[in-house]
Amino acid sequence: MVVDDHPIWRDAVARDLEDDGFNVVATADGVAAARRRAAVVQPDVVLMDMRLSDGDGAQATGEVLAVSPSSRILVLSASDEREDVLEAVKAGATGYLVKSASKQELGAAVRATAEGRAVFTPGLAGLVLGEYRRIAQVRRTGPPGTSLPSLTERETEILRHVAKGLTAKQIATRLSLSHRTIENHVQATFRKLQVANRVELARYAIEHGLDKE
Amino acid sequence: MFRLLSCIYALGFQIAINPALDRPVIGWALFAVLIAWSVACAVAYLQGFGRRPSWVLAEIVVVAALILSTELIASDQWAFDNQSWPTTLWATNATISAAIVSGPIVGMLAGVVVMVASTVVKGFFNFDLGRNATIVIELAVGLAVGMAAQTARRAHAELEQAARLAASHQERERLSRQVHDGAIQVLALVSRRGREIGGETAELAELAGEQERALRRLVSSTEIEPALGTTADIGAMLRQRASDRVSVSLPADPVLLDADVAKELYAAAANALDNVAAHAGPEAHAYVLVEDLGDSVTVSIRDDGIGIPDGRLVDAVGEGRIGVAKSIVGRMNWLGGSAKLNTGPGSGTEWELTLPRR
Repeated sequence: MVVDDHPIWRDAVARDLEDDGFNVVATADGVAAARRRAAVVQPDVVLMDMRLSDGDGAQATGEVLAVSPSSRILVLSASDEREDVLEAVKAGATGYLVKSASKQELGAAVRATAEGRAVFTPGLAGLVLGEYRRIAQVRRTGPPGTSLPSLTERETEILRHVAKGLTAKQIATRLSLSHRTIENHVQATFRKLQVANRVELARYAIEHGLDKE
Repeated sequence: MFRLLSCIYALGFQIAINPALDRPVIGWALFAVLIAWSVACAVAYLQGFGRRPSWVLAEIVVVAALILSTELIASDQWAFDNQSWPTTLWATNATISAAIVSGPIVGMLAGVVVMVASTVVKGFFNFDLGRNATIVIELAVGLAVGMAAQTARRAHAELEQAARLAASHQERERLSRQVHDGAIQVLALVSRRGREIGGETAELAELAGEQERALRRLVSSTEIEPALGTTADIGAMLRQRASDRVSVSLPADPVLLDADVAKELYAAAANALDNVAAHAGPEAHAYVLVEDLGDSVTVSIRDDGIGIPDGRLVDAVGEGRIGVAKSIVGRMNWLGGSAKLNTGPGSGTEWELTLPRR
């Protein structure tokens, strides 16, 4: 499923994917349409733009996963890797690719996402690292007994290498690990952020009495 | 308002003392001058020209002249026993005007002028500040009103600037959204399709791709907030170096440092990036990572170029590479931080600049 509010771009990407042997089951231009169609077609992979007609990609990511939990979200954005991409990862996206990526790169990224692997860039790794450091700060200054996640030493090491532009293969060689292990570590950091996000949202709801409504 | 109240007070004083004056008729005539001048001042103030320094100077002169005119209408003994004729309260108008227009120093000077005039009338200066508090009051009024006016003016100027910044920021956001939704998408599409078609179209695609990336950088750089007072975001500063050959990874939140420190750290990182461009080879790509560890900030600059081969250090000195390295280390030491360099043949170079937060 392709979600993008720009019709020319949406159709072009859909056609590229069809040429590449994928089956595009639906397209959508906004959050509401994406949620409705995902609920019906239960797509394996959702290609998600960050700016949509009625909201943003992070919001759409959360809503699609709520109605189609087995879908995997790959963010395909023209925007630089800023807060909104981090929000999408926190909402459950497992991959990020810039729109300037080639047709081959796009195909490879969709395939990797469908297999449950993480697709990432140095910029995204920098954002994720920064987010964990923010969380560490919150844990130090916030109320004790909170169960916010942290990175293991290995995960920090790997994210730093990714952020400095080393490929998974190069990192694997340096650390004498398998290529796949590196990807799993990165994916684990994404997943933990998603959990942290749920914890934070839930606490926010309780603190503000939203859970009683 | 104060002017009106002080006029009423002066009127009451005039009615009360006039019989005691030597020349009551001139007294009333001078009182008419006082009222006329007060009205003129009020009009001048409302019209705006009364807020100019020249008008305030005229006001001080008129007030001093009216005080001195006490000589004309009253006996020395009366002047000695009473406050000067136009009343101290009314005379304070001049002090207040001067303080409002030109600040506390000029306000206090005006107060002194008013006091000198009344001292001349009385023929002596009363040093007993306990009994003659007028000089203290004049100075205090000049100082307090002057400072209040300055503070108010500064606050007003700051408010105006903030409003201007907010407006220009909104405008930039709007532009960036439009560019993003329109031009960038189309350029990305052209570059993509063009590359697939190949041949001459591929060259066009390359051009479109370059423009797309340039526009994207432009749009994201306009989102940078100007340095907030004495702090600066080292992340936003380094993001401006991002290009096809330089990738910059940042945390989502700004990494704030003292503005001067940020400038030096940026200069050190920029040195390292320039070094990459000059020496790492034409295919080299540089990666910048900014990390905020709370009590310290780390900037890493890695490239995948040719590195500095063993045994080439002497050549490297000759090429100026070691000079640059020394200047980076020197800068970081001066800031109280450290700079580490890892390099080897074929493995590129990696700088790690660490700066503790004070």
